[in-house]
Amino acid sequence: MQRNPDKFWNPYLAGVALGLVLLTSFLVMGSGLGASGASLRAGIAALDLFAPGHVASTPPLARAAASPHVTWLVFEIFGALLGGVVAAYTSGRLRGEVLKGPRIGNGARLALALLGGVLMGAAAKMTRGCTSGQALSGGALLSVGAWAFMFSVFGGGYALAWFVRREWR
Amino acid sequence: MTFPVLPPLELGLVAAVLIGFGFGFVLERAGFGRANKLAAQFYGHDMTVFKVMFSAIVTAMLGVVLASALGLADFRALADHATSGTYLVPMIAGGFLLGAGFIVSGYCPGTSFVAMASGKLDGLMTVLGVIVGQVLWAELEWRPGFARFHGAGDLGNFYLWELFRLPARSGPYVVALAVTVMAVGCFVGAEKLERVLAGRSDPSAMPTPAGRPGRFVFAGLAAAAALGLVGLATPTGARESGRVATGLAPLALARRVFDEPWKLRIVDLRSLEACSAKRIPGAECVPQDRLGSLGLADASPGRDLVLVSDTALDGVPAAAASYRGRVLALEGGWAAWEAFALTPPAPPTAGAPAAELEAYRLRAGIHAAMTGMKAAPPPPVPAAAPGAPRKAGGGGCSG
Repeated sequence: MQRNPDKFWNPYLAGVALGLVLLTSFLVMGSGLGASGASLRAGIAALDLFAPGHVASTPPLARAAASPHVTWLVFEIFGALLGGVVAAYTSGRLRGEVLKGPRIGNGARLALALLGGVLMGAAAKMTRGCTSGQALSGGALLSVGAWAFMFSVFGGGYALAWFVRREWR
Repeated sequence: MTFPVLPPLELGLVAAVLIGFGFGFVLERAGFGRANKLAAQFYGHDMTVFKVMFSAIVTAMLGVVLASALGLADFRALADHATSGTYLVPMIAGGFLLGAGFIVSGYCPGTSFVAMASGKLDGLMTVLGVIVGQVLWAELEWRPGFARFHGAGDLGNFYLWELFRLPARSGPYVVALAVTVMAVGCFVGAEKLERVLAGRSDPSAMPTPAGRPGRFVFAGLAAAAALGLVGLATPTGARESGRVATGLAPLALARRVFDEPWKLRIVDLRSLEACSAKRIPGAECVPQDRLGSLGLADASPGRDLVLVSDTALDGVPAAAASYRGRVLALEGGWAAWEAFALTPPAPPTAGAPAAELEAYRLRAGIHAAMTGMKAAPPPPVPAAAPGAPRKAGGGGCSG
């Protein structure tokens, strides 16, 4: 197979493929895809190292630590990491680098990536799921909350895009 | 109903890795492991995020719609199982916050994992940030000031066809067709916009036009949506039975009666006599033929509706199926409840394993609590004889 890092799948065919993965998850597991749940479980594992007992005394953390669905998400994200490595290797995109626009330094870009991650992590806990769990999975099942969330995500992105344009363009 | 399969735990975890593999692989190949390509969505010159996301949503939606039309699944039951309830206030506020985090970090939580897997250091930083953010809000969400916000605008499991007041049976199919038509219209618009902005696009995030495969996808999605509506017109056995209630075991019900009775609305469908003699604490006695008088279609969906009948319930009565929240049926009906909670459990034999002892203690506790709640004694009859002479000039202010 020829490796061309600039070649991506046709977006509509990729969308159909992603939709079929999601449909498989619905029909087999009765639940959709997700990502942020696995992050929460990783945070819980870290907390257990530094402050044992704290998780048990914080109800939202204790619930996530005991939830079989969150355990399922951890395995699903493990699979997603494998899939990501294989897809990146076979397309020639597997290499250590920092992705950014031409007008920003590496340090600033990494700091902004961390900051954006913190914002998204808090937001995804608030909304009971991120763009995978809420917008994609809930959207496909026509949940009102998921659709309201999805429009808000695009709204938030477009509203702030002009202010951070130096990061990308 | 054949789907969902719901495999046992270990098999489910194997499925998780396989499904996750497909998830990560497709995201990477779509270009979602690259921050520039994702961020370009918000500058208008590369609409890949929108195209991939909406064609995925429409594909999965139509798949569930077609499975429901064939009687293999139940759209509503699957959606109740797979989606969280709608909490309008934190979902809109959190959506804006997540959108802001998206354009600042260049990823969403799912794609940051894929970026990390393909060696992107900014992806790794985003993954770490998401972990910190998740723990931060989990620390805050249940504390007094925050809990009100976190639970604000609670509409229960609420769906688009209910928002537009469409009938429960045909609603999902009609909305699915409308969403498909809207999505294809937006795809055509996105292609136009990309061509208009093409001169300004940057080399690291080139737009990917629909081309022939794209047009083929549009036609396929439209055909599947139309097929779903046709399938609705031909009645099949599975759909006739209407909504299927999720089962609730007596033990689970007992726990919820103790722990969170405010989240339950128990409706006892047995005859009035039977129900007034003995019922689950907090249950309303509403014989099945009078269920319509509760107006469940317009009732607040915040609490879970628990239906209790004489024996196991086959099919949800129409009046209860219109309830917008979760509908649960007590497994085995009243007979199972009586056997579980109102009959003293057999004491364990000497040398029984610890698990059995624990189960006995739990059941004995439930039995004691459920049967120990004695009826209040009848109110005392007023002793004063009627027509007793009134004391003249009683004193005080009456003068």
